[in-house]
Amino acid sequence: MESKGSQNTVKKILNFNRKMHIHLGLFLLLFIWLFFISGLIINHGGWKFASFYEQRKERKTDFTLPVTSLNDNPDMVSQVLAQLRISGEVENLKIKPGSIDFRVQSPGIVRDIHINSKSGDGTLKELKYNFWGKLKTLHLFNGVDKTNPSRTPNWIITKIWRFTMDIIAIVLIILSVGSWVMWYKVRKDYRLGYIMIACGFIVSGYFIFLLDYL
Amino acid sequence: MKKYYPSIRALHLYIGLLISPFVLIFAGSVLVFNHPGYINKMAHGKDPSVINTRLDSIPFRSTDALTAKAIIHKLGITGEIDFINKNDSSLFFPVRTPGVINRIRVNTLNGMVSITRTDEGTLRGLAFLHAMPGPHNVAMRGNSGFIKVWRYIADTIVYSLLFLTISGVFLWYFMQSERRLGIYALGFGFLVFIGLLLFIF
Repeated sequence: MESKGSQNTVKKILNFNRKMHIHLGLFLLLFIWLFFISGLIINHGGWKFASFYEQRKERKTDFTLPVTSLNDNPDMVSQVLAQLRISGEVENLKIKPGSIDFRVQSPGIVRDIHINSKSGDGTLKELKYNFWGKLKTLHLFNGVDKTNPSRTPNWIITKIWRFTMDIIAIVLIILSVGSWVMWYKVRKDYRLGYIMIACGFIVSGYFIFLLDYL
Repeated sequence: MKKYYPSIRALHLYIGLLISPFVLIFAGSVLVFNHPGYINKMAHGKDPSVINTRLDSIPFRSTDALTAKAIIHKLGITGEIDFINKNDSSLFFPVRTPGVINRIRVNTLNGMVSITRTDEGTLRGLAFLHAMPGPHNVAMRGNSGFIKVWRYIADTIVYSLLFLTISGVFLWYFMQSERRLGIYALGFGFLVFIGLLLFIF
């Protein structure tokens, strides 16, 4: 009886795994395509149709802000963003005597802001990418600074997108591991699977572990 | 169309198994990219080791990249030269393999070489592979054999993933029992995707 019970449990788990594989894969379809296209654009900078940087649009705007909102104000950056009616991930904040500089990024738009904190005068340099540039920035948009690992995203959209990327990555791991389980169940009908999985592990293992030694 | 079902099922299974370890590399490294703080806590890199040596002569070549390649060949170091900084008296370039960086500084006047080796660990090695060849230093990228090969592997993985998604939809379409739930999954995924993009842009 016990073995029948455990067989049923295994059957249920295998069935659940199969359903997860099918339906998580369908759920992620458009996300996988987004990262597939943007990954190709990143790795093939020479593709003319996707040359977003050459086709960028630049704009420079001068503005003046009330000086009171700039000095000794812990909420200065968000007030500046509200007054300029822009939003995005704030990076590279540099406050020096007499000047404030920072960058505001959103997918496909980079804004560099310079403010004279004594007069309130400032300039906003805006750089807008085309559709392909937006795709490319979505692939990389996680609000992380390599030189400052403790920094975390400060814009809600960056946080949501980073969370989305995490979920996609975890689901892809589940799909991959689940595929081994699904194949194992039918391994007698698909014997070439042994060779395929071994080749995959040997080649990837070579790149991860052995390059430095061979 | 149904006559293709068995062969597409076999291809979906075999290609999926073949690329699954690479998918783990790309997916696992996303977590490394997104959470460097946690990775630093989990996997402290080893302290860098420094080796000082001297070259009998500096193998100057027609370009800095070729000179750097000749220098690492002489030093017995292999890897991808990331970038090169040069001034009147020195040449500096990091040489990378997954998880290892050798930062090489050469005094071009007296041949003294300082090699700082940093073991970054396997997790950061995955992130390095994910980022290669990447958008930066395009003219230099692929100066090592393994990145030349990896470039093709990365493209193959991406095209294989495209095939897996299309063949996966094909296989699902013929599964009567999963049709209804699959339509919900596809529709829900579509709504979340479009909703997120509308929210972002």
